[in-house]
Amino acid sequence: MNGLEPLKVADGMDLSPQMRALLRPGERAKDRRGRTHMLPRFFLEIGSWEQAKKRPVTANFSFAELLMVDCREADTLLNTFPHYVPCAVQVLAQYLERFREKAEAPVFIAANGGYRSPAHRAHAEAVSPHCWACAADIYRVGDVYLDDEKSIERYRRMAEGLGQEVRTKPYGHGTQETDDHLHIEIGYVTLAPGNCDEGGGEDE
Amino acid sequence: MKLLRERIVERAEAAGADAVSVALYDYGKALQFSHEGDRWFHAASMIKAPLLLAVYRLAEEGRIRLDDTLHVRNRFRSLTGEIFRVSPHRDGDSEVHRRRGRSMRVRELARAMIVRSSNLATNLLLDYVGIEEVRRILTEARLEGIEARRGVEDTAAFEQGINNEVTAEGMARCFRLLCQEGFVRGETREQMIEVLCAQEFNGMIPAHLPREARVAHKTGEISTVCHDAGIVFLPKREPYVVAILTQWPAHVERRQGCVAEISRAVYEHVTGKEGGAA
Repeated sequence: MNGLEPLKVADGMDLSPQMRALLRPGERAKDRRGRTHMLPRFFLEIGSWEQAKKRPVTANFSFAELLMVDCREADTLLNTFPHYVPCAVQVLAQYLERFREKAEAPVFIAANGGYRSPAHRAHAEAVSPHCWACAADIYRVGDVYLDDEKSIERYRRMAEGLGQEVRTKPYGHGTQETDDHLHIEIGYVTLAPGNCDEGGGEDE
Repeated sequence: MKLLRERIVERAEAAGADAVSVALYDYGKALQFSHEGDRWFHAASMIKAPLLLAVYRLAEEGRIRLDDTLHVRNRFRSLTGEIFRVSPHRDGDSEVHRRRGRSMRVRELARAMIVRSSNLATNLLLDYVGIEEVRRILTEARLEGIEARRGVEDTAAFEQGINNEVTAEGMARCFRLLCQEGFVRGETREQMIEVLCAQEFNGMIPAHLPREARVAHKTGEISTVCHDAGIVFLPKREPYVVAILTQWPAHVERRQGCVAEISRAVYEHVTGKEGGAA
């Protein structure tokens, strides 16, 4: 991509037992409504925070923006490298890129608003598309902070115009509603790169 | 001691205060003094000093890390269940508001909470560590005279009469924990004192003290109360701890000046010298 060295793809099944326990590659997990989904198995390996900041996923989104978590994330995933992010982050970033084009302004992803592992404290009760790197919490578009009904609903309509696979949360103070950001998700997309063997490890 | 008490009452009455409470402990003379020191007041931002102690103590216990980062989010749940936000216009600090959406270290938030009295930083820290943990720490510290019940700007809780409250003796006890061995380690105490010395609101306790005085303190002010408490470090002598809490009719001005004058009276009493910032 853009002349950059491709990132290494890691098969979650080959990661250390400690990392597997946190990322739970390929495991079944229940969402908030009790529906079962398969957690991602293949991950892009990010070697350092410097790399995450410098490396674009798409023209206008870096890995750092989509990986920024706070201390509610599992300790190992927060403080040690390499970091692993599901390959589908590349799909999400394409949608965000299109959203940015429609909004005609920079789009800002909140901390904890991109990829969060299943071990993140936000997922104590159930997993969410954030665990697939398939959701983004946008707190600001251009100079507009999305913290009221008017701004959230405006950009929500814009996001939903990207396709029927795009879902958002409406403005409100309850569960499955938001009042200080716009939540966009594209479902539970998993991505297995072409050179990967889903019956085993990566085919070199 | 009678003289100091008279001077305190005289200044408070002259300024039109409804109530004044002072607690003093001088390490130089092992002198303890209290004027209505067990009277309860609305804490206002003064509650942030015990919260600082709780945060650093939790870090010592290994329950949190000062270098951990927290998502800066202006969205809090009141004790009554309602969602509320901290008004940027009423907050003494704008830096934390500018970081909305991003993250800040616990250490940075603790500093903003004290140095510029950031309400947003306070609520973020309290939201993270939990009010029950703060209360546990205060109980373990035997800090009677400090009731931490909620975050700041929780208007719905305020309307139900759920407030943070302190006494002058409670606040003095809190600052004494920063001066002596026991509850937190020396290195931790030094870190907290450094933060408190960086205080940017210096119109009360330090205002009429000599320039060489170094004051580690925290103020608190809303429409009806005006407080300051802290440790006064002077050259060539042991420090003293003082807490000055006052209550006022809403329209009265020069409240800070009254607290500053009482601080000067305390200084003169402790050192036997005439004060004066000039």
